Amino acid sequence: MATWEVKVMSNEVYSFALKSALDEIRNVCPDVTSTFMFREDGEIVAGDESTPEKTMVRVVNAFDSILEKAEAIGGVEGITLEGSNGRVDVSYVKDLYLVTVTSKKADMNFVNTVTRVLIPTVLKLLDNIHPTSLKSNPPSPKIEPEIPAVEESEETVEEDAIEEPKEIIDPETKPELALPEPPVNQLIVENLGGLLVPSDTVRIDTEILSQWDSLYDDKKIEEVIIETFDGKSARSKVKPIKGSKYEGKGIIRMPEKIQIDLGVRKGELVRVKPIVE
Amino acid sequence: MGKKKRGTQEAATMTEPVAVESTVDNLRGNLEEIKTYEGVIGYILRNSTSATIDLKDPTKIIDYAILSSSSVDASQELSELFDLGDVKKIILEGKEVKILSLTIDENKVSIFTEKNVDQEKILKRIRST
Repeated sequence: MATWEVKVMSNEVYSFALKSALDEIRNVCPDVTSTFMFREDGEIVAGDESTPEKTMVRVVNAFDSILEKAEAIGGVEGITLEGSNGRVDVSYVKDLYLVTVTSKKADMNFVNTVTRVLIPTVLKLLDNIHPTSLKSNPPSPKIEPEIPAVEESEETVEEDAIEEPKEIIDPETKPELALPEPPVNQLIVENLGGLLVPSDTVRIDTEILSQWDSLYDDKKIEEVIIETFDGKSARSKVKPIKGSKYEGKGIIRMPEKIQIDLGVRKGELVRVKPIVE
Repeated sequence: MGKKKRGTQEAATMTEPVAVESTVDNLRGNLEEIKTYEGVIGYILRNSTSATIDLKDPTKIIDYAILSSSSVDASQELSELFDLGDVKKIILEGKEVKILSLTIDENKVSIFTEKNVDQEKILKRIRST
């Protein structure tokens, strides 16, 4: 099994363990109505079973501009929003943000005791078991020195990418000698317009493209699959993003036509993965 | 009867701006006092017609103003999303600085303090407006 596959698998296990911990928090504290975790770059790591992914994305987007300017106050350690019917707490735990939404009745001392003990303990345990799992999802070429490149299995990989995006660790769809599963990047939609702009091409960071190129033995990635959190997906050509204004910001510049096809708009999150041909 | 009613309406119209004005004045007065508390770095007071920014370090004005308005925007979005009702306060805790934001009538207030400052005293003072 390739190193990258092990890493993806451990990331899945990692997310699963966190999700179970979050579900447990809700079982122990019924007044916790929603809880999930995300990374500083906006990537959602895990959420309890009753919180829709779309809701989590909206929360992350809402905090986006705060986190962008957080350097001015030395980085965010916590956010508390108190309303007349409930509250939202965001706490920074080991490079992750834990969001907890509670009802007005909640005993915050109890909720805080549970979350501040349980989550750090789980994170510490996971860190001990597999330290790399705490790192970001997209694979780095530096830790991928031995990727098997088998021409025959390319088509299979592409089919998996389109039809079963979430079945990353399914042993039946993953032969031992297959190319690595396409890495999934979560990117924020940004408009791409103009007279000479092709309507079938999206633009993403050069760095992501070169990571993909290296991962697939320097094959040039020319197309991607874009998936929304509503389950819609589209295949599109891809080119590097132009202009330093857009570089390194985790965005995907997308023509209006593709946005309409996918039912997304500027500021929303989509998943993007390469098509290897 | 009709005359009496008209008189009441007129009085209300006349007194309303005075009330709004006095809220802002009271707020400003309270904020000026809060600014003298130990560990308080400054404040931002905004409403639909004006904004007052008073910070000890003027180089931080833009960053703090963005953080302040982003906190309020985020709170409105989250309040709608999770049905949290009226937002009473927002606390943004940084490693060095804490920001307390709240809305009083139509005025949006953010108070910047050092991390270890107890904000209860500030809250009490500001809510007495």
